[in-house]
Amino acid sequence: MRVCYSINGKKKEFEINAGEVLLDVLRRNGYFEVKGNCYTGTCGACTVLIDGLPYTSCTMLAAKVDGSEITTIKGIGTLQNPHPLQKAFVEKGAVQCGFCTPGTILVAYALLKNNPDPTDDDIKKMLDGNLCRCTGYVQQIEAVKLAAKMLKKGDE
Amino acid sequence: MLKLKNVKSCFTPNSIQEAIDILKKSDGKAALVGGGLDITVFPNPTIEQLIFLNKLGLTYIREDDENIKIGATSTITDIAKAPVMQNYLKGSVKIALAEIASELLRNQITIGGSIARHHFYSDIIPTLYALRATIMVSDGELIEGFFVDDFYRNDLKALMETCIVVGVHLNKYDDSFQFGSKRFVRNATDIALLNMAIFAQIEEDIIKDVSISVGSRPGPAYRFEQGEAFLRGEKLTEVLAKDFESFTKSNVDVAKDMRLSKEYRQHLAGIYAKEILLDFIGGVR
Repeated sequence: MRVCYSINGKKKEFEINAGEVLLDVLRRNGYFEVKGNCYTGTCGACTVLIDGLPYTSCTMLAAKVDGSEITTIKGIGTLQNPHPLQKAFVEKGAVQCGFCTPGTILVAYALLKNNPDPTDDDIKKMLDGNLCRCTGYVQQIEAVKLAAKMLKKGDE
Repeated sequence: MLKLKNVKSCFTPNSIQEAIDILKKSDGKAALVGGGLDITVFPNPTIEQLIFLNKLGLTYIREDDENIKIGATSTITDIAKAPVMQNYLKGSVKIALAEIASELLRNQITIGGSIARHHFYSDIIPTLYALRATIMVSDGELIEGFFVDDFYRNDLKALMETCIVVGVHLNKYDDSFQFGSKRFVRNATDIALLNMAIFAQIEEDIIKDVSISVGSRPGPAYRFEQGEAFLRGEKLTEVLAKDFESFTKSNVDVAKDMRLSKEYRQHLAGIYAKEILLDFIGGVR
């Protein structure tokens, strides 16, 4: 069957298997920034935004979200023009191996869209589903708070 | 990794009747999909057709004078963030829902999917049990309401081959009612290994009425009726909370598995029972 998405603002059409999850469709079509790992919604590495909300793409049936707007990490910033969250993660040392980083930043992005001034507790609760074996989370929380400050100053 | 290898077609019906017609013709080889979490995490190789429910108009949270009415395809996020839930039973139900899994999964888990699947030990069901929720089921023509207890006494497999869960109704209650819940889970995204929910009517410190539910994976959630009988008519005090802790440890029926022993769950259930009652005492004062 064929599905149509808007991915990072560009219309895309793909041939998919009816029982496939979104993660596999995205990676097969070159979106390698979406990381695959647990396939049970446990680790959050495969997070994408679907119509603005964060989901684990490994548990989302590709056919179910036909017609949706999908945002990957490349949709919020580029190497030349990174999003404040991407800058803050680098500045605060919240990136080590980097495998979890795209998913974590997208969840933080969704948080800051709705809550521009989150508490530590808000950040912890929101990042609950994104596992990181390197940074120990403290730097991630600091990075989200720094990004919130940067966004308030209009650094986007 | 193709999880649902045998799925050949997907349907997005525009009416409940259309969805049920497809379901009935499928000879048991179709699955209804609300959020789709259950079917992707626990793939069933016999499934050949997927019926997406997102165009049935079942994503809503409304209220009338007596009830809060929740559509089956509403996600846990939808419900926890709905304005009508913010003050429902002093916000305690919203808090219970917002503690389930992670934000990522709460965005996908639908209340109808949680009810219709057979994993009714999950976090949501004990809450619905305690609140004496009514589950609304449609065969395409009629809509029938079941109390949660009655719903799970049905032959669920047979029922779900010809019907769809279309929503849940929660009664509205006055300020004499309190709700509390506790859960034990290994990590943020897992299904709880133990949850307990207590819903009580307390007038002048006397527990007039109470319902208690316990969920312990992999066992089904159930009403802890012995506990209800222990508390009903008693004066709510710290001594009662302590006594109820001991009673619960000795009498609660919990499952065991490789993750957590029965004895540990009984111990935890006692502590949770006491803590919820102590929270109620704080609320009453």
